[in-house]
Amino acid sequence: MIADKYAEEIEGILARFPHKKSAVLPLMHLAQREYGYMSEDAMREVAGILDLDPTHVLSLAGFYSLFHEEPTGKYVLEICNDLACALRGADEFVEMVCRKLDIPLGGTTEDGLFTVKGVMCLGACDRAPMLQYNLKFAEHLDEEKFDNLIAYLREEAASGEEPPSVVEKIAAYAKK
Amino acid sequence: MSDLVKLIIDGVEVEVPKGTLIVDAAKQIGNDIPVFCYHPKLEPVGMCRMCLVEVGFPMRDRATGEFVLDENGKPKLNFGRGLQTACTTPVGEGIEVRTTTEPVKDAQSSVLEFLLSSHPLDCPICDKGGECPLQNLTMQHGHGTTRMVYSDKLHLNKHVPLGELIYLDQERCIQCARCIRFQEEVVDDPVIRFHNRGRRTEIVTMSDPGFNSYWSGNTTDICPVGALTTADFRFGARPWEMKPAASLCTHCPVGCNTTFSTRREAKSGGKHVIKRVMPRQNEWVNELWMCDKGRFGHHYAADSAARLKRPLIRKNGELVEVSWSEALDFAAGKLQQYGTAVAGLSGDRLSNEDLFQFQKLFRKGLKSHNIDLAARRLAGGDVVAKVGLSSGSNLKELGKGDAIIVVASDLHEEAPVWWLRVKQAAERGAALIVLNVRSTRLDKYASHVRHYAPGQAVDAVRQLVNFAKVEGDSNGDALSAAAETAANANNLVIFYGSEGVDYEETAVIAQHLANLLLMKNGDGHAGRPNNGLIPVWPHNNTQGAWDMGVHPAFGPGYAALETPGLNAAAIYEGAANGEIKALFVMGADPVGDGLMADRGQLEFLAVQELFLTETAQLADVVLPAQSWAEREGTFTSGERRVQRYYPAVLPIGDNKADWQILAEIGERVGLGKPAFAASLIFNEVAKAVTQYKGMDYRTLAQVVKQWPDVGGEDGYYAGNAQKNRAGLGQVWASAAESGDAVAYDVAETAVHVNDGLALIRTAALYTPGTLISQSDVLADRLAQPTISLNAQDAAQMELAEGDLIDVNVAGDTIAALVHINNTPAGLMLLSGVPYVAGTAVAQIGQEIKD
Repeated sequence: MIADKYAEEIEGILARFPHKKSAVLPLMHLAQREYGYMSEDAMREVAGILDLDPTHVLSLAGFYSLFHEEPTGKYVLEICNDLACALRGADEFVEMVCRKLDIPLGGTTEDGLFTVKGVMCLGACDRAPMLQYNLKFAEHLDEEKFDNLIAYLREEAASGEEPPSVVEKIAAYAKK
Repeated sequence: MSDLVKLIIDGVEVEVPKGTLIVDAAKQIGNDIPVFCYHPKLEPVGMCRMCLVEVGFPMRDRATGEFVLDENGKPKLNFGRGLQTACTTPVGEGIEVRTTTEPVKDAQSSVLEFLLSSHPLDCPICDKGGECPLQNLTMQHGHGTTRMVYSDKLHLNKHVPLGELIYLDQERCIQCARCIRFQEEVVDDPVIRFHNRGRRTEIVTMSDPGFNSYWSGNTTDICPVGALTTADFRFGARPWEMKPAASLCTHCPVGCNTTFSTRREAKSGGKHVIKRVMPRQNEWVNELWMCDKGRFGHHYAADSAARLKRPLIRKNGELVEVSWSEALDFAAGKLQQYGTAVAGLSGDRLSNEDLFQFQKLFRKGLKSHNIDLAARRLAGGDVVAKVGLSSGSNLKELGKGDAIIVVASDLHEEAPVWWLRVKQAAERGAALIVLNVRSTRLDKYASHVRHYAPGQAVDAVRQLVNFAKVEGDSNGDALSAAAETAANANNLVIFYGSEGVDYEETAVIAQHLANLLLMKNGDGHAGRPNNGLIPVWPHNNTQGAWDMGVHPAFGPGYAALETPGLNAAAIYEGAANGEIKALFVMGADPVGDGLMADRGQLEFLAVQELFLTETAQLADVVLPAQSWAEREGTFTSGERRVQRYYPAVLPIGDNKADWQILAEIGERVGLGKPAFAASLIFNEVAKAVTQYKGMDYRTLAQVVKQWPDVGGEDGYYAGNAQKNRAGLGQVWASAAESGDAVAYDVAETAVHVNDGLALIRTAALYTPGTLISQSDVLADRLAQPTISLNAQDAAQMELAEGDLIDVNVAGDTIAALVHINNTPAGLMLLSGVPYVAGTAVAQIGQEIKD
């Protein structure tokens, strides 16, 4: 239960908002960090803390592509394949990525490292094909650059170094 | 007036209140701007873009702030560069709206083309086809042809149960969010929301059970496409095959106006059947809504196999079918045989005509005043006659500066539409004062809440009234602040019910509350519109039963009797000890309800019923009656609105209307030729019941133009709720309206002191019963017997969530599930069981192990 485990952190998040309901996104990030994805139980937990109907949390998880309703790999590669990016070859890029990682779009590699998702506009149409991982952008991608990225991420994973989580980044941003 | 605004719509000048939306202003002059997401009872959102129009605003000179005039001296209009949504743009002085220009037409057909690009066009198999806003508006404003390749369409799930009552067809949905907004804004059950984005947007629910709301059916009425359908009606019939029949809901005292859609069908062996029930607009009663119990709980009437079809007489110990004349001769003979040792008990679901004829048979025919309601639960009909909610009231008009008090009732479970209207009044600013033994769903909207100790309802009400008497005596008590609010309110409406109190206590509570309304602080509340007392009666026509004089101490119109007859309790006792020899039971099941153990010493028992109830199984003669759906009649709601209902289907078997059976027995005991129509009996009622003077079936059928406009071609504007063409009913005036009400000298009552744990039965909308159990569609929602208590009490008694235990209630043992919640300490709440009066001492048996 995140309510018990992160009581202090949750209190801090709630204190930042005039209405309890407004804390739903940070709490969802917290829950996702804890469980790896927004499981049904995680949604009910967040809803319980904020006195919301769990459907409200499900709705947000469905709307925002940063929330995952299924377990994911360590790195989620979110490739924008909206219209503008598609015109710059995003579809072919997605196909190449899936072929290289040997997974369908939305799938996770057997070693549990990578999940590939197609997402809506990330605001970098002029630098497509592009993808987002851990809130970082990789732009102007081609096969070679993608190979380098994967190699880099495999190395990072092997080193055991934990990349900063989304929650930490948001907390850092809130402090600014 | 300064708060009116003049504008021009398509060359027609119209004057409307400031703040009116363009779409509503246009509607008022018969200019139908097409909409999908807009609904006059919801906040506008401008999501569907169907209502785009050209709007010209008068130009002002930036330097001087003056209007810029054209060569004719009129303000110049600026139509801007784009179209405006008529549903989100309020009117303004001097603006001009154009709804039929080329840019507007182009926008309308483009929006439709866009919507249809992901719509399956499966109209031939769609329930909505024929009354579908999307279909109608496409015919009116759309292209005749498509540029889409049909096989390119995105196909989505077509049978998604949002629960077992409501199904979603994902690809028909046009994402207008009417359903989601209704659940959130109107009824505060935000259990459905959008999930995902773009064309894949779908409606989802995480509640348990799915789409957990008493209001879910309304979303199918306001859905502008066939995306949401009810399990009860989907694939049942096409709209044009069905005939409408105006009716009333029979499940609670609100008196929601409804429409049956009926058809004669081969599937049902050529019978006329009710295919669905929908709300019929009555802005004074249920507006455009109804609860799911009313919508789905109708099956007992026309399509239950359990209905009686022929009269039965006991011969050699068996009930056998006989002719009407044999049954009526037998009943009439037996009822006359025992002199004054005869009594009658009635249910309070029957029509005014039935109830009037019932008392007439006993009083005039059998010369006995021994009549009463079989299940007496809430007293105070006589008090309501004096200070009931005044005629000309509408709960919709209550708001800032007004107060509403609710005593001992869980309106959400007992009378959902009243709950909704009280909640909405509180949201508009009315002060809501709630007095109950425990928290209910009203507390959330209340400004003052008093949870009194179990058994101390009368005392709490007495205190409230006393505080109100002594002005300015705020001694810090929450109740005293509430009393001050109530006493000083512009308008004061009071609901009182029967939760945790017994019949005698409710009589005292009603009198105390009457005194509060009659109090002369300011100009007094009683007698003014939007003021008065509303009893939360147990059934749909308890009010009518009081009015008709189905009471041992009152005749029709509350005429007090010099020598009252026996009341229900005394009749049950008389049946047991032999003082009563012949008993006639109409529309009630005292044996099944545990009010009567068996026949006792009765020598004759007649039962007039829809079903072979437990009481009927013991009877000497069983007279099969028509349900309300098979005939016409009137009910009187808790707001004392006398309303008509009409025949919807043909009678089942040889059944007769209750009043007709009673009149034919009456003929046999010397009451003369029976009347042959309900309307004629009602004319008799209007003569005998002074309060009903001037009413007849014509006046009750009168309608006036209502806002918002619904029905017919307007399906798109406010949903498929039916237009009211059959009557709005009439409210009879309370005595206070003519100044004929004086305060009661209320007897002092002893304050209850409780030993140990108190037990109170609480209402649940879907409490199993004879009628609702006939609706299979509601089977999974029926309330299970449940005991609720708080964690400390549970721990002390070594009970855990989900345990099954025996509870002793009024001599019966009921197995109930344990549920731990925030119930006040020292109290156990029992729900999902028939009504139990008052506050009892809890007697808990052993935990039942499997």
